[in-house]
Amino acid sequence: MSLPYSVTLALQSLTREKWINLISVLTIASALLIISIAAFVVYNIDAATRSLPERFSMVLYLDDDIQKDRIDGVITALRRNSAVRSLRYIPKEEALRELKSVLKNSTYVFEGLDENPLPDTLELKLRKEAIGPEAVRRLSDEALKIKGVREVDYGEKFLAALHSLRAGTKTVGIALIVILSTGIIFVCYSTVKILFYRRKEEIETFKLLGATRAFIRAPFLIEGGAIGLAGGLISLFGIFAFYYAILLRLSVTMPVFKAVLFPSGPFLLLPGVGIFLGVAGAAIALGRLRY
Amino acid sequence: MDLIQFQNVGKDYDNQTALRDVTLSVGKGEMIFITGPSGSGKTTLLKLVYLAEKPDRGAIYVGDVETETLRESQIPLLRRTIGVVFQDFRLLDNRNVFENIAIALRIRGIAEKEVKTKVFDTLKMVNLRHKADAYPRTLSGGEQQRVVIARAIVADPTVLLADEPTGNLDPGTAEGVMRTFKEINARGTTVLIATHNRELYRNTGRRVFTLDSGSLVGEVLG
Repeated sequence: MSLPYSVTLALQSLTREKWINLISVLTIASALLIISIAAFVVYNIDAATRSLPERFSMVLYLDDDIQKDRIDGVITALRRNSAVRSLRYIPKEEALRELKSVLKNSTYVFEGLDENPLPDTLELKLRKEAIGPEAVRRLSDEALKIKGVREVDYGEKFLAALHSLRAGTKTVGIALIVILSTGIIFVCYSTVKILFYRRKEEIETFKLLGATRAFIRAPFLIEGGAIGLAGGLISLFGIFAFYYAILLRLSVTMPVFKAVLFPSGPFLLLPGVGIFLGVAGAAIALGRLRY
Repeated sequence: MDLIQFQNVGKDYDNQTALRDVTLSVGKGEMIFITGPSGSGKTTLLKLVYLAEKPDRGAIYVGDVETETLRESQIPLLRRTIGVVFQDFRLLDNRNVFENIAIALRIRGIAEKEVKTKVFDTLKMVNLRHKADAYPRTLSGGEQQRVVIARAIVADPTVLLADEPTGNLDPGTAEGVMRTFKEINARGTTVLIATHNRELYRNTGRRVFTLDSGSLVGEVLG
């Protein structure tokens, strides 16, 4: 098989059938651009929510009349738990002080208060991997079993919502990527099939002159790859334009966009992804054709 | 030594018998004619040699190989030893004369430099050197025929098959085409010509096989 001649045949076909190829390239470019934007959104939601659990804490309210040695017992029991990253003991006097400083403009709240109504508390920071609705609930149940712990408070709904948001965007993103990638393969498959039928006479002549299957297939695989590459390059240009020409400009007037992250590295793979999907579509088409 | 052998070969198309119990052999370096009326099975016989069709009965040998035993991947290799002058030409309209001939070499993976030399040498042989850049539809029937012959012989095949090679040609051009075939045969290529034109084989001293309704009904010297 003469590879350079296969390239020549592919280039000839690309220019002869320019309209079919152009439509395929633009369709692939659009699909890859949508995939890129979806990945971009998923990445940013994931990055934004990833830092939230680090600020997450669980508060344990201790019994009113708890003794110092019991407090030490509770702290020791909690430190033994692998989910606990750090622990801070807040005596009820300090808790009241903190509350007063927070509510310094509303001092009337404390008027007529003879004694401190707040209990001693323990504030727990958890390890990243332990911050999940199930794991936190389990830890809460275990903490309540420790003698001296009266009540446990944590943002159960917040945590569940956060997890749903992350899981949801990931699922939607992955589904979109799979559906559109399949769509791109199908576009390349259909394009190669049409091109094949349009060149059927020529292929038949090639065969009768002694052409191998590889000789016949190679130009179509190259053409599929070239269509994918062109689509990938256009989408690459599109996603960079989307960020630099739109989002960055918007961030001047809308500071919220300043927090947006643009992972340019993975997007540079778009032409390669295009080639892979294009060749895959062409290979499937050639595998299904009888010649 | 026989290069092509047909042993009791039969071929049917939709319950119509195209070839019936044909047995013949063609020696290496020989030039033979296959004649008979339209629909007698001449084209089918040639197609069986270059494996455009497969026999329903009997066995065909090309060289030492029984064609039925060839794997799909081996068929192109056999076809590369055979040059075919197709009755319907099979020229590629979107390629010029040079490209139409060169394709037979490029399929074989021959280097571009050698492709150029061989194509121009062959074009010179068929007197079409000046038409290298022309497209098939701008050529006369005789010129197109010579392009097809050039494509068939450019890769120096062992066997040359020609299906009605002078079908649409005037007597002068037909004579030129036959002269080319004789030259090719003189170089050692085995030539099989299917024709219903008696003038082509008259007084040639070559073997002429006659087909009628798919059966081999005679073998004479032309």
